[in-house]
Amino acid sequence: MSARPALVAAGPHSGAWLTDLRAAPVRLWQWWVLTIRMLVPAIKTGEILTSVLAPAAFTASFYIPLKTVMSFSGLGFSSYAQFMMPLVVLQAAAFTAIGAALRSATDAVSGLDRRFAAMPVGRLVPFSARMAGNVVRLLIAQAAALTCGHVIGFRFAQDWAHTMGFVGLGLLIGVAFTLGADVIGTASKSPETTTQALLLPPLILGMLSTGIAPAAQFPDWVQPFVRNQPVSQFATALRALAGDSQGNAGVADWATMTPALLWIGAIVVLALPFAVRFAIRRS
Amino acid sequence: MVTALTTAAEGAPRAENSAATLVSNVSVQTQRLLLRWLRNPVALLETLVIPCLLLLMLDIVVGGQIERFTGEDALFGSVPMVASVGALSGAVTAGVMLGREREAGLLARFWVLPVHRASGLIARVLAEGCRILAGTLVVVLVGYLLGFRFRQGLLPALAFVGVPVLFGLAFATLVTAVAVFTARTVLVEGITILSTLLMFFSTGFVPLIAFPEWIQPIVRNQPMSAAVDTMKALALGGPLARPLTLILAWSLGAVLLCAVPAAIGYRRASRR
Repeated sequence: MSARPALVAAGPHSGAWLTDLRAAPVRLWQWWVLTIRMLVPAIKTGEILTSVLAPAAFTASFYIPLKTVMSFSGLGFSSYAQFMMPLVVLQAAAFTAIGAALRSATDAVSGLDRRFAAMPVGRLVPFSARMAGNVVRLLIAQAAALTCGHVIGFRFAQDWAHTMGFVGLGLLIGVAFTLGADVIGTASKSPETTTQALLLPPLILGMLSTGIAPAAQFPDWVQPFVRNQPVSQFATALRALAGDSQGNAGVADWATMTPALLWIGAIVVLALPFAVRFAIRRS
Repeated sequence: MVTALTTAAEGAPRAENSAATLVSNVSVQTQRLLLRWLRNPVALLETLVIPCLLLLMLDIVVGGQIERFTGEDALFGSVPMVASVGALSGAVTAGVMLGREREAGLLARFWVLPVHRASGLIARVLAEGCRILAGTLVVVLVGYLLGFRFRQGLLPALAFVGVPVLFGLAFATLVTAVAVFTARTVLVEGITILSTLLMFFSTGFVPLIAFPEWIQPIVRNQPMSAAVDTMKALALGGPLARPLTLILAWSLGAVLLCAVPAAIGYRRASRR
């Protein structure tokens, strides 16, 4: 990409024709401007507050009603807050992902992607700027999720390395989710349909997961699915990293972490080629 | 509208504000709204499929746990709640559609044609009622497959189906009052958040005693719980008078407060 001005300079008619004079803007600067574009309007309109409010609303809506019902028969955990914390983190990631799909679909349908493609903008710059904006929102949402968790009584029970692992894994999952959602949004070009369609998978996978209740509390026929689906694997891994004072949170070894990391890898491997393809194709 | 024009052409002119015009106009406009709903996959998904999925989810995830906690089938709470939630989300979709038709100038177009002035709003109310009724019947059907039963006979069962219609129409009046005055999606989103909160903090999600004590008075008296408790009493049995009075008060209160602004707003939106 950055080879183009160099090629022109070395061409036979360099400087002889006006068309040979290409703009050579700094890619990093472009990326910065487009990243700011994802954030400043959101801050000015207050829309960024939803990244804080969504985890708070989710925590309240699940913790307050479900606390008694879920824990009266014994969870093996010190509290329901300690048990459901991974789900709060995952919901924050899913919420950010739905927003990411909305933004990329809006860029696609409004013709902004085409416009950037016609301008001397680095091919991957709009995509990486969108992802940078998503990461900032993820950081805000995760911080809000952890604060909410602290309020309802969640505590990290292990050393700082595990705690960093918890935060890191949560962010990694969020990056995978937003990457996939960004690709879906760009491909669909329909902000409304995409956001509607993306509301369902988190609802189904989130509720039918061990993030909300232990697998044994589900009906027998659905237990194999509940145990093995990705959200449960993420929840198990996060829970092991957070630990619990009663010691039933599992051990954060490779056997616990591998399924979660493989799911993240699978999402990235599936989504990234599409993301690059959408970014470099000429429409 | 079409009927009115053709009869006029056939030589039997009918006043724009006659009762006959009103009936035919309302039926045409109701058909139009219901057709738009049936032909919109997203709206169908929202009003018919998602509530059923939600019911299935709730039954699988918290159903067994609640049954162990209270000793009675959780479906008697979750079927009424999901039917009511479906009614509310239908109202939001209809509000969005109304806002779009206003912006597209369709309402204004009806206003300059010889269409009975009251037919637009009445047709919206009727179409909304049909939609809620259809959604409720589908939810009850899925509930029956899962083990929900009417234990009180036919008349209470009919009243059961009427509760979401009443509650949903009252909510639709509120949404209409909001939607005709503002095109901003923020307010519609606000209503979605409100209805979600009503769902989670209602007696249909988990029994009242499972909530922390400080929040119980709110949970017990909010409209969604009132609807759920009324419907539960009509299906399973139990005290009916209190929740029925409460839901009537909430619904009629909302209609009284919002009907006039909704009608004025509709008129203003039509004359833009």
